[in-house]
Amino acid sequence: MSSTTRASLKDSYSFKTNVSRTLVYFVLICLTLICIIPVWVLFVNSTRSTVEIQSGLTLIPSSSLAFNWNKISTRNFSLYKGFANSTIISVSTTILSVYFSVLTAYAIEVYDFKGKNFMQQFIYVLVLIPQQISIIGFYQYMSRLKLTNSYIPLIVPAIAAPSSVFFAKQYLETCVSRDLIYAARIDGCREFGIFHRIMLPIAKPGVFTLSIFAFTASWNNFFTPFILISKTERYTLPMLVQLLRGDTFRTEIGAVYLGLAVSVMPVIIVYVFLAKNIVSGLSLGAVKE
Amino acid sequence: MQTKNITEQKGAVAMSGNKGGRNKKIIKEKTGYIMIAPFIIIFLVFGLYPIINTIAVSFTDRTLMKQSAEFVGLKNFRTLFKDKFFWASIGNTWKIWAMNFIPQIGIAMLIAVWLTDTRLKIKAVGFWRAIFYLPNLLMPITVAGLYRSIFTFYGPANQMLVRAGLVKEALDFFLSANFAQGLVAFIQWWMWFGNTLIILVAGMTSISVSLYESAMVDGANEWEMFWRITLPALRPVLVYNLVTSLVGGMQMFDIPFMLTNGKGSPNGSIMTMNVFMNARFQRGSLGDSAAVGLCILFITTVCSLLIFYVLRDKDAILERKLKKAQEKAHKEKHLNVTGGN
Repeated sequence: MSSTTRASLKDSYSFKTNVSRTLVYFVLICLTLICIIPVWVLFVNSTRSTVEIQSGLTLIPSSSLAFNWNKISTRNFSLYKGFANSTIISVSTTILSVYFSVLTAYAIEVYDFKGKNFMQQFIYVLVLIPQQISIIGFYQYMSRLKLTNSYIPLIVPAIAAPSSVFFAKQYLETCVSRDLIYAARIDGCREFGIFHRIMLPIAKPGVFTLSIFAFTASWNNFFTPFILISKTERYTLPMLVQLLRGDTFRTEIGAVYLGLAVSVMPVIIVYVFLAKNIVSGLSLGAVKE
Repeated sequence: MQTKNITEQKGAVAMSGNKGGRNKKIIKEKTGYIMIAPFIIIFLVFGLYPIINTIAVSFTDRTLMKQSAEFVGLKNFRTLFKDKFFWASIGNTWKIWAMNFIPQIGIAMLIAVWLTDTRLKIKAVGFWRAIFYLPNLLMPITVAGLYRSIFTFYGPANQMLVRAGLVKEALDFFLSANFAQGLVAFIQWWMWFGNTLIILVAGMTSISVSLYESAMVDGANEWEMFWRITLPALRPVLVYNLVTSLVGGMQMFDIPFMLTNGKGSPNGSIMTMNVFMNARFQRGSLGDSAAVGLCILFITTVCSLLIFYVLRDKDAILERKLKKAQEKAHKEKHLNVTGGN
């Protein structure tokens, strides 16, 4: 083969690579627009008046934010209250589910006890059984206990969160150090002391990822509170958002967009700062099941 | 590292004795029990009992209005099976799930292959993944509300279509059953393809590069490498993804509920099983709706188990059996030798 044909072959190869690379970037940019534009429109429209929104689409914010806020707060629609209710539930749920999930996973990972293997497999099976299917029995049970408008049925069950245990177990396998546990025990540390003072600090990155997922799941949960809670002042944020569908807001489109925007704001702010940790945490849970 | 495939658990546990740190298990039975006690107690009280109670309620005529309830046997199930809306809701759920899952796994797989391609060397993989994952974290109710606003009669979608001259006058999107189903499937796709993508990329990057190198030496092309190396190595990840997506898809509620009138209009086209159950519940009859819940549980469980069974790794199971037999033979031989002495 002469040197010229070889060079042209090499050229055509890299040319082909460049073409496919350009194509790939084009597709990636299209998908990015598909992911971002609806969210952007949501935020922009929450700053525009109804007239502006109906006169056309734009990606530039306007000045009616305060006006929309007044509209939405005057119609017996307490965003503050919903925000506070959702925060109370999500924060308590996150603390309980993360702490007890890591504790359960730690026990399975570190100690030997009878029924341990059964327990582990049982939890893996539970991951696949969604809570929603037993909601009717749950509701009837809670109404018997007069707890339907309380937050207890929304918070306490988080102590037994199979999918969190599953993730925590995956994570602990990578970071539990038996030597450290032995050393601590020789130093006279109690078993729970080892867990609190040694293992939890070591598992911090995993605990952090777990907290984000637990918080988002609880923040976004609509079905369970929707079935259980009937008092308006106990409504969570998704339950309020659901009301935006109604006739009260038919003419106040800007206010509707604002209400929607407020409900996703906290999660988006957290995500902007922590996207990297969240994505890598997700990858970690994915590889080894 | 131990394989943590659910179906492989038994084998893995049995063989864990010979693995590095594993045999250093710390024997402190009591502490172990104390630590898992909260999980077990709360599971029994808030997880298991509600399921049993749902079963119990489904055999009664319990309603929200009266205090007492009577045992009616299978009556709730019989009326349910005669209800054509119930069957329609099963059909809708499956249809919408399939319309979302097939493009979801297809596009995620394609992008994952691109992002991990060593020849293309795509930059900022982390950035793309982060962007595509964002919709997954948003509140489903809000997302549905947003798309509802976009596609209302005076909404942005109609404005753009009319201005671009694609349609003469604004369309009433939510009068079309096909459009409503398509939109629910699209929203599900929009929210979930990033999640699937991240899982697939993680799975692909964990495949050993040497496999591809030796395949390349043997003259395999990219397509062959994808079919013979990537896909088989991704099997556990794909099975897991399929099952979790199915379990989630069968529970679909927030989006179809929020998108139209909460009852699955137009024409009940987006009335999923959970929307159907909720409609029964809001009507006040607990017995009926509990029966619906149990049917959803039954469908979900049977299908998950079926997927695990059909897609199980037959080669790996065979290999494990062979290995066990070999070990057994080896042991017997060893015993014979020592016995002979």
